[in-house]
Amino acid sequence: MAAADQRTPGTRWTPFLFLLPFLFFFLLFWVIPLVGGVKMSLQANGVGQAEYVGFAHYKALASDGRYVTALRNSFTYTLASIVVIVPLALWLAHLLRATFRRLRPVLTFALLLPALTPPSVLAVLFLMVFYGDYGFLNQLVVIPLGFKSIRWHGDPDFILSGLVLQNVWRWTGFMTFFILAGMEGIPKVYYEAARLATGSRWQQFWHVTLPQLRPVLLFVMIYLFVDGFSQFVGAKLLLGSAGGTADAGLLTISYMNYHTSNNDFGSAAALSISLLPVMVVALWACLFIRRRTT
Amino acid sequence: MSGTGENKPSVQRAIVPLLLLCPFLLAVTVPFIWMVLGVFKTNDRLYQLPRLWPMKPFNGEYWSGIAEGIFPQQYDWQNVTELLVGKWMPFWDVFGNSLMVSLGQALGAVALSAMAGYAFARFSFRGKRVLFVLAVALILVPRQLFAVPLYIWVNTLGLMDNLMGVILPGVVTGLGVIYFTQVFRQVPEEYLQAARVCGAPEFRVFMTVLPLVWPALLSYGMIHFILAWHEHLIPNLVLFSDTNRTLPLALAKLYDVSHRTPQGVRMAASTFAVIPTAVLFAVCHRKFKSSLSDMLVH
Repeated sequence: MAAADQRTPGTRWTPFLFLLPFLFFFLLFWVIPLVGGVKMSLQANGVGQAEYVGFAHYKALASDGRYVTALRNSFTYTLASIVVIVPLALWLAHLLRATFRRLRPVLTFALLLPALTPPSVLAVLFLMVFYGDYGFLNQLVVIPLGFKSIRWHGDPDFILSGLVLQNVWRWTGFMTFFILAGMEGIPKVYYEAARLATGSRWQQFWHVTLPQLRPVLLFVMIYLFVDGFSQFVGAKLLLGSAGGTADAGLLTISYMNYHTSNNDFGSAAALSISLLPVMVVALWACLFIRRRTT
Repeated sequence: MSGTGENKPSVQRAIVPLLLLCPFLLAVTVPFIWMVLGVFKTNDRLYQLPRLWPMKPFNGEYWSGIAEGIFPQQYDWQNVTELLVGKWMPFWDVFGNSLMVSLGQALGAVALSAMAGYAFARFSFRGKRVLFVLAVALILVPRQLFAVPLYIWVNTLGLMDNLMGVILPGVVTGLGVIYFTQVFRQVPEEYLQAARVCGAPEFRVFMTVLPLVWPALLSYGMIHFILAWHEHLIPNLVLFSDTNRTLPLALAKLYDVSHRTPQGVRMAASTFAVIPTAVLFAVCHRKFKSSLSDMLVH
């Protein structure tokens, strides 16, 4: 075995031997289905030796009002979730650090419970929060603030907010945990230095905590973005397979699933593939941010 | 922000954050308490939520009404036993399937991603950059997006209604590869050199490093277990016979109104669906957090 340089021990093929199992499964269960999806989206019914129809499914999507609604809903849902969860999780992590050290693990665990719960269970638990006039949300927040109780499943103005709320409830504790772990990894010396330079805690937060947390926050946002776009079970159990009244809660994956359950595999595949550019833009944006920070 | 620095926070300074946390803790835990107490409630009682409004804090009836809305009248374990003996679904089959699927996915994902991460972190080779970007793309494109072609492919492979049809696709993870790349970058080079000097083949070197990073292996295994435990869309397409379902699928069937399952049984099944992941997390919590703290901020 010729040890050419220190960075590459072993032979030329050693790294590929390590990568082989991963690449094998990657090819088998990611690349092949993806190619299959592209092929399906160009065929009439999508399955087997179906007729080739070119971009017909994509053209149909572009003029399909429900698709546009679903896409817009998914974007609103995902972005609103990120905008609410990230600052809230930062604040909760700060509170957890400031409170009794002994209680911290118990409190973190309690906040994390929703993230440990299967989404189908969550949807059922959330029925109680949204349920009629006596749902907890109406009783504890809406009515005390002097409003009339809101029909969270039925009123198209509130369905999407309800779904976002469910998402916030689900993920905030989990993200708080990651941010907390990140905060605990920041060397104390940085704060000492910041304390000498400036007095204010806000400036410490702005100049030390936030930049140091950038990798964590990036992870959190990507996670929420991907999860937001693949969200499905929660909305389905809460609203049925359609998107609720006036499609106000129709998300892209539920719409895909709607096509699937109608055996319209071609449209379903075209719908999924049409989301790829969205994900690629997100990938590009995330790499761009990374490059700027390093 | 650095409250735990040299001067210990006084009791007063720690109490205000605790009070501020309270509404959030309540919002998170109340539905779970309702779920567990729901095991003992009858159908019509479950959704009789306590009526807090209009408030009459000095009226005894008002408070007893609230208590009645929260607590069951009697603690009868019938719903739990009915569920466990399989009256409503083959509970132990389903539970075992979920364990198998999650454990299989977690072990497979840890093995594959740890090896791939080692290659990315410790070698320079042609095409490394492209492959790494692909791994990132793997995170960004959720599998739900090509659930249907995946399901047709699984069918072609003859894995329909087979747990392997869910386990094998589930071992590919971009998150794991990136996580382990970061983990293996932090292993001191001297350690690897020492192993190599003894003339060990590279795979042996890798194996000697593993004990060094075991908190990371455990942490990622746990996260992947939890994600697999929650998975719904793909198992739903691949698994269809009653005894081959996983827990989330059986739950969805149980919740279905047409099945007339007592609400208490639904709540019992939901509780059992939460327990494994909750226990797992509680056990691994500390290791997971310190491993994250080490990694997230270089």
